[in-house]
Amino acid sequence: MSATETIAATAAAAPRTLPPVDRESRRLGFRLTLPTQLLVLFIAVFPLLMQLYISLTDWSPLDGVGWWKAWQSWNNFANYTDLLEDRRWWGALWRTFIIMLVCVPAEFLLALGLATLFMDDFPGKQIFYSILLMPMMVVPAVAGYMFFMLFQSGGPLNGILSALSGMDIKIAWLSDPTLALVAVMVADIWQWTPLMFLILLAGLVGVPEDQLKAATLLGASWRQRFFTIMLPRIKTIMVIALAIRVIEIFKIFDTLYIMTGGGPGVATETISVYIYKVTTQDLIWGYVAAIALVILIALSVVAVFAMKRMEAARNGDAVARKGARA
Amino acid sequence: MTTIRLENLVKRFGDFTALKTMDLEIRDGEFMALLGPSGCGKSTTMNMIAGMEEPSGGRILFDGRDMNGVPMGKRGVGFVFQNYAIFTHMTVRQNLAYGPKMRGMSRSEIDRRVKNIADFLQLTPMLDQKSAKLSVNILQRLAIGRSAIVEPAIFLLDEPLSNVDAAFRAVMRTELKHLQKQFKQTMVYVTHDQLEAMTMADRIAVMDHGVLQQVGTPLEVYNNPANIFVAKFIGSPGMNLIAGELAETDRGLAVDLGPWGLSPPLPDDLANAARAAGSRAVQYGFRPEEATLASEGQGLRARVTFVERIGARTIVHAESGQPVKIVTENDVGFAVGDAVTIVPAPGAVRLFDAASTAAIRGA
Repeated sequence: MSATETIAATAAAAPRTLPPVDRESRRLGFRLTLPTQLLVLFIAVFPLLMQLYISLTDWSPLDGVGWWKAWQSWNNFANYTDLLEDRRWWGALWRTFIIMLVCVPAEFLLALGLATLFMDDFPGKQIFYSILLMPMMVVPAVAGYMFFMLFQSGGPLNGILSALSGMDIKIAWLSDPTLALVAVMVADIWQWTPLMFLILLAGLVGVPEDQLKAATLLGASWRQRFFTIMLPRIKTIMVIALAIRVIEIFKIFDTLYIMTGGGPGVATETISVYIYKVTTQDLIWGYVAAIALVILIALSVVAVFAMKRMEAARNGDAVARKGARA
Repeated sequence: MTTIRLENLVKRFGDFTALKTMDLEIRDGEFMALLGPSGCGKSTTMNMIAGMEEPSGGRILFDGRDMNGVPMGKRGVGFVFQNYAIFTHMTVRQNLAYGPKMRGMSRSEIDRRVKNIADFLQLTPMLDQKSAKLSVNILQRLAIGRSAIVEPAIFLLDEPLSNVDAAFRAVMRTELKHLQKQFKQTMVYVTHDQLEAMTMADRIAVMDHGVLQQVGTPLEVYNNPANIFVAKFIGSPGMNLIAGELAETDRGLAVDLGPWGLSPPLPDDLANAARAAGSRAVQYGFRPEEATLASEGQGLRARVTFVERIGARTIVHAESGQPVKIVTENDVGFAVGDAVTIVPAPGAVRLFDAASTAAIRGA
């Protein structure tokens, strides 16, 4: 009621002077959005600050004191210095990197190949398309269980290998440190290639057909069209797809945890699994908060890089459009 | 540098026949316009010449060589797309060099060709600009240059002026015609705009509903339309047509035009042709530019319904059951509602068989 009255009053008092009305409506806007702003603040900023606060202390829920009293166990950045010397943390980070370095390129190349195939029509395309997208829709925990069963030493994978080779093969996939890592990567590639495929296909379908025809008429072979027209035109989309997968690999957890639980030993322990263990088993929450914050900052850098790349591409286009109009 | 022959060319898309049958010879170095309303099959014809679509029947011959099965990259055809299809992620230079590069020409050869074509098309100042930032006329020159640089024997242009505004179109028409004269290449130009076809083409192939209606020089097509469709389609406004019946009079054969009255007697050759054709029901046609208006005297009687002033000329709409248009000088002294007498110029009258729509022509 006060809002409408204010507007009416202002409009009546100064119907032609714009700045005061402007300031008044800005204030009104602020008041109207205040509840939402508070909510966003509570959802986004509050946990972050809380995390930062706890990460500077030795606080644990076992202490029996509320988290707001965590200052009592203030430890002068000891969590961060500990992290630098935590070999298990560095190991987990390293393994996460390995998974990323294998899975992201593998998913990208597979997806690009498949997306290229799907640009042409072939019999049964719709069916293959549905089958191809299915892994993405499987709940990661279920996917984890599927691969857990597949990779059992008496499981179907060894069965197939035995039948093919004629020997009785009993590879202990999930209890060998190296093979367990391979198994985890296979599961990730299986589940997330479809997402990459979908994104890249969307990009490829958007490549103007006339330009491809023009290139063909100028004598370009399929390969030449692919590298000179199609790839350059989906550059931005490739960056987005890669960024999504890089960020998600850092969060890899469900599938992996069900398959190996991070084991054998710490052979497949990624940073997410490590954080989970420290949280639920060691219960040193101040330390967990510090780790989580470091990862958040690292991933933000990746995200910012990807956004910059996108922004650059968009600005390029905008300049181009403006130029064409002039 | 190539003759294109289309023999019994047919194209079907499922149940729909886009091109019923087409026989056409496009001579070496000729500028041929394929003209017709949208959906007449002209673009389909062009796409088949380029190899983008396979014919459902018939043959396409380049200098006597059957092109069936020859992939589009190997036909030696330059194609300028309606939207120019410039590679916007490349510079002007990269666009021009694309064809030679894909054909594996040497670095020095590519540079030489790019330099020549850029000089010729006045693209040199913007060689290193991103092509996305260029204006439409430069884009058009670039599209032509990109095709011309690999020296195709045939140039196909698919409505290249359709997304340009009217004033600019006039400039581009002149420029295109000028370029074609210099390239001396066989050019096929698809358009629905008769002005483009009339001004640029050596010959026009008028098409409608997947059928070739008439092939001829712009003036042939304008002066002697082969049938009613061409008569109405060519010219702006199109030819006036009035339904009537042949009638023998004591001054020779004339056409009884019902409420318009009796037409002036037909010229002897046309009268003989009409008698020979045998049919009595005809369409009596004359160009709006080739008739005069009078307030009385011998002629077709009608009433003025509208006076349309278009600037240089005035178009008088008149009616007597059916409407006709007469293009006159601006100082025409008639107003809406006036009775007028229309006198078609001697020799301007064309007759069409009402049943077959084909022209009845004198010797």
